[in-house]
Amino acid sequence: MAGYGDVKLLRDDGLRLDGRKIDEMRPVTIEAGILPVADGSAMVTHGLNVAVAAVYGPMEAHPRKIQRQDRAVIDVRYNMAPFSTSDRIRPGFNRRSREISKVTAEALESVVLVERYPRSKIRVEIEILAAEAGTRCVGLTAAAVALADAGIPMRDLIVGVASGKVEGTVVLDLDKAEDNYGQADLPVGILPNTGEVAFLQMDGDLSPEEFNLAMEYNFKAAAEIHLVMVDALKRRYEGGEN
Amino acid sequence: MVELVPTLLRQELARLAESDARLDGRGQWDGREVDLEINCLYNAEGSAKVVMGKTIVYAGVKFELRTPWPDRPSQGSLMCSAELRPVAHRKYEPGPPSPESIELGRVVDRGIRESGCIDMESLCIVPGEKVWGVMIDIHVLSDGGNIFDACGLAAIAALRTAIVPAERFDVGEDYTLKVKGAPIMASFTRVGGRYVYDPSEEEELGGDERIHITLGDDGHLHSLQKGLRGVFTPAEFAEIFGVAHLRCAELRKLVALQEGN
Repeated sequence: MAGYGDVKLLRDDGLRLDGRKIDEMRPVTIEAGILPVADGSAMVTHGLNVAVAAVYGPMEAHPRKIQRQDRAVIDVRYNMAPFSTSDRIRPGFNRRSREISKVTAEALESVVLVERYPRSKIRVEIEILAAEAGTRCVGLTAAAVALADAGIPMRDLIVGVASGKVEGTVVLDLDKAEDNYGQADLPVGILPNTGEVAFLQMDGDLSPEEFNLAMEYNFKAAAEIHLVMVDALKRRYEGGEN
Repeated sequence: MVELVPTLLRQELARLAESDARLDGRGQWDGREVDLEINCLYNAEGSAKVVMGKTIVYAGVKFELRTPWPDRPSQGSLMCSAELRPVAHRKYEPGPPSPESIELGRVVDRGIRESGCIDMESLCIVPGEKVWGVMIDIHVLSDGGNIFDACGLAAIAALRTAIVPAERFDVGEDYTLKVKGAPIMASFTRVGGRYVYDPSEEEELGGDERIHITLGDDGHLHSLQKGLRGVFTPAEFAEIFGVAHLRCAELRKLVALQEGN
């Protein structure tokens, strides 16, 4: 993630290559309940990213060794479709998707009232159909909406957002070029009502001041995305469908 | 996961079949409404989305440069594969590709490949050295019955929109992939003792064997597959073969209509 130096990511007028301001995120749209056979589902588009999440369960946890006597386990699979990136991805799990699945599951287990469903399993399937930087955050947002759509009780939603640093400047919501040639990336999962953080990763180089500013941007973006999530869920259940 | 086939469902399907009726009110040879969207995936060189009832399928086309097979130095390659990931239904488990998903991908692959709609010679850049490999990946997001037809339609529609990314690979200018015709699949499942076209999720659950027929623009057969336990008579095949011609022609018109928009 060390900067390549020769790639210019900020324009002379202070805007970014795609015309966004430093603290402006890409447009987000969310639709809940898009998969008819799943118990809950959502599609999130964030800039050019497209993520779909499906929830199945709670169901019997098997194999039995994964069962927890006092709570449900959340089984997350984050997967990028072979055609989601500019070079085709070979189908199947890799180290990156396994790690993202693991920390995403742990973030979701922090908000779902898992103690309500002892010895059971909730399956969360995240499929990335188009990737343009920030897919783990988009997937996390989609998973949270899908869980709510499935009617699974949660303390709060989770919003996935990221900030980073390009050319020494902290910016909100890195796009592909900024992610490739920038200096840092800080993806987080924020609980919009409580202000807590359930997902945190970072790579690159950030000073303490830069970290604070990046987190400030993340909280601001989370509040915006939260409104879109709530709106999607309201549209799903106010329309009289279901 | 073992699917328990409810005896009651089978009885109900048999009862409906006697009066030539189906669970969702369709006639024996009626398909569900088909919604086709093309060029809908940002990073794919060609793409399509098909919605048929509760079934939702995406297909995306990617290209790669590769060295040709030694015995076919001037031919590129085509590969079509399908993934039945756990997102698509409660019944699908994570893990390596299941026999079901391999069968699905291969039946779709054969229909497209054998129709000759892609001229493999046209995928050659430098004979013996450099050819295009075309990959069609089918992603089933929701299995609400008859994913075969949905996958077949998504795959050919995606292929027909594909742009060869020559600039990105530094081998000339981008151009539209030449695809001659549109092979289309029609699938039938035995439900309540007789065949129906375009089985729903419930009909597949309470039904028996299935037959998949892929037809080219000229009505010629390009792939056939019989799946699951059961047998059929030549007379039964003749009947569904006739229906397949009609349904395939309709879907081919839908592809043309979307491309015209």
